[in-house]
Amino acid sequence: MFFRSRLLLSTFLAVAPLVACDKASPRTDVVRDDFGDSVRIGAPPTRIVSLSPATTEILFTLGAGSRVVGRSKYDLWPDSAKLVQSLGNGMQPNVEAVLGVHPDLVLLYASQDNRPAADRLRSVGVNTVAMRQDHIADFRRLVTLLGRILNDSARAQTVIDSVDHTMDRVQTATRGASRPKVFWHIWDAPLITVGSGSFMDELVNIAGATNIYADITKPSGQISLEDVARRDPDFILAGPIGAHAIESDPRWRIVRAAREGKILVVDTGLVARPSVRLGEAALSLAQLLHPGTVR
Amino acid sequence: MTRFRPAYWPALIAILILIAIIAVARGAVSLPIVAVFEALRGRGDPTAVAIVRDLRLPRVVLGALVGAGLGASGAVLQGALRNSLAEPYLLGVSGGAAVGAVLAFSLGGTSEPVITLAAFGGGVAAVFVALAVSRAGGRAARADLRTLLIAGVIVGAFANAAIMVALASAEPNTIRGALWWMMGSAADATWTRVIWLAVSVALAGGALIYRAREVDVLALGEDTAASLGVDAENAGKRAFILAALLAAATVAAAGLIGFVGLVVPHIARGMGLRAHRPLILAAGLIGATLVVAADLAARTVAAPTELPLGAITALLGVPFFLVQLRRLS
Repeated sequence: MFFRSRLLLSTFLAVAPLVACDKASPRTDVVRDDFGDSVRIGAPPTRIVSLSPATTEILFTLGAGSRVVGRSKYDLWPDSAKLVQSLGNGMQPNVEAVLGVHPDLVLLYASQDNRPAADRLRSVGVNTVAMRQDHIADFRRLVTLLGRILNDSARAQTVIDSVDHTMDRVQTATRGASRPKVFWHIWDAPLITVGSGSFMDELVNIAGATNIYADITKPSGQISLEDVARRDPDFILAGPIGAHAIESDPRWRIVRAAREGKILVVDTGLVARPSVRLGEAALSLAQLLHPGTVR
Repeated sequence: MTRFRPAYWPALIAILILIAIIAVARGAVSLPIVAVFEALRGRGDPTAVAIVRDLRLPRVVLGALVGAGLGASGAVLQGALRNSLAEPYLLGVSGGAAVGAVLAFSLGGTSEPVITLAAFGGGVAAVFVALAVSRAGGRAARADLRTLLIAGVIVGAFANAAIMVALASAEPNTIRGALWWMMGSAADATWTRVIWLAVSVALAGGALIYRAREVDVLALGEDTAASLGVDAENAGKRAFILAALLAAATVAAAGLIGFVGLVVPHIARGMGLRAHRPLILAAGLIGATLVVAADLAARTVAAPTELPLGAITALLGVPFFLVQLRRLS
């Protein structure tokens, strides 16, 4: 908690002087989102519906929190986001509920599940942007785009720089250490892990470890317990519920890390969001994997 | 035995209209009733107009058409097969349509007409596979429409297995999309889809009503039908194909919405209808009312979260069914 507030504070301190002297960056009229649809950029939006935790976190960090008039039920950070009306699911959102808050911009995760909602919102004239959020590079793209849309590119760049800076610091600090093999436990039944198509794989690398399933090129994949045992990870990364499931399931004893109690409990609300707290997420992983090397 | 009174017709229609009006007036966003009527005429707040005309109205109409199609299809099948447990999804139509949709999803088909067409194609293909399978039996088996039913069940089971295999290795996004689709929903109703389904329901439903007398005769049994000069095998096949097409069109439009095709014909017969022409009509009206009401509940009970429509129809349908059973016993 202490770190979280310190990071935020440093972000805002860095941002404050820039806001004052921000000049309007050159604005092109149209950008293309990850559905391949063109989105016009005009006057900055004043009523934004943000239907993924990452976009909501970015908007609040860019100082546009007061313009967010709707969020998904999973968008719980920062605390002030909880004051925004929840519109339910971020996937296959309720279009009527979205229209009901009169948005002039809707931000969606670019999953095919959201395609009908995006088409529908556009058909009634609501500016809609759907963006992928799989890699750390996607986060940078997203912040840059939102900075342009909000006409505050300077602040967006500061946010990116500050996150990159923290990640660089973590990477440098863990460079000399040994690189343990880790297994990301995402879901229990079926057993799902993280592949190299995900920012969570990148985070593990930055934190000085290797994902045993980096050969899965998709963001996630379904695997078998037997294969986890064969790949013999040094640590298991899991959320509190997943960790409990592993500890209480005797089948997991075939995995050495589980037998030896090398289960590292992570805050899924922090490390599973490709957002402004990526630096903090990398740091928390590094502190778990290499205690004492980075502060 | 209950007697069907002619006064039931206007009552059935009035209930459908009433439920439809409530369904257009209520939703995740609460709009004053005056605003709803203004919006229907295209006036007032543009957001309200978009909500009422582009979201709720097509959805209500789509729900009504799906319910009508499933009700009519169920009524015909239960009659022609002389089996009160027959229902459209037993024919393999649903499984076939789901295979079509899942295939389209996993091949990266994303646009709505592609999925709809793939689902319809899959449903129709399943019916013809079922027909082919039933032909594998001997002459006696061929004449027995129950062979068709069993063939449909087999094709459906195979289709379900194929879906499971396909989904086991599919991308999470594909799985979610396909599962959501299989749960059934009217949420993605568009006017294009409504018109497409309306034409299908009008054609297949109209043909069934036109040929309702054949179903009456089939309901007496193949032997009686033969002695009455009806070619039972062909009449049965016709009814089977038309009912399956009707069901396939509804599945393509809104996914799987369970229980309607099974329970609605029972309600219609419970009102005292025996002849199939009025029975198909009444089942259509009741089915439409049931699905519109279920969709209204799906949209509003836990708003803004939507509940799966198929689950709601079952929740509403089961008590109806139990009441009906009590009456029979």
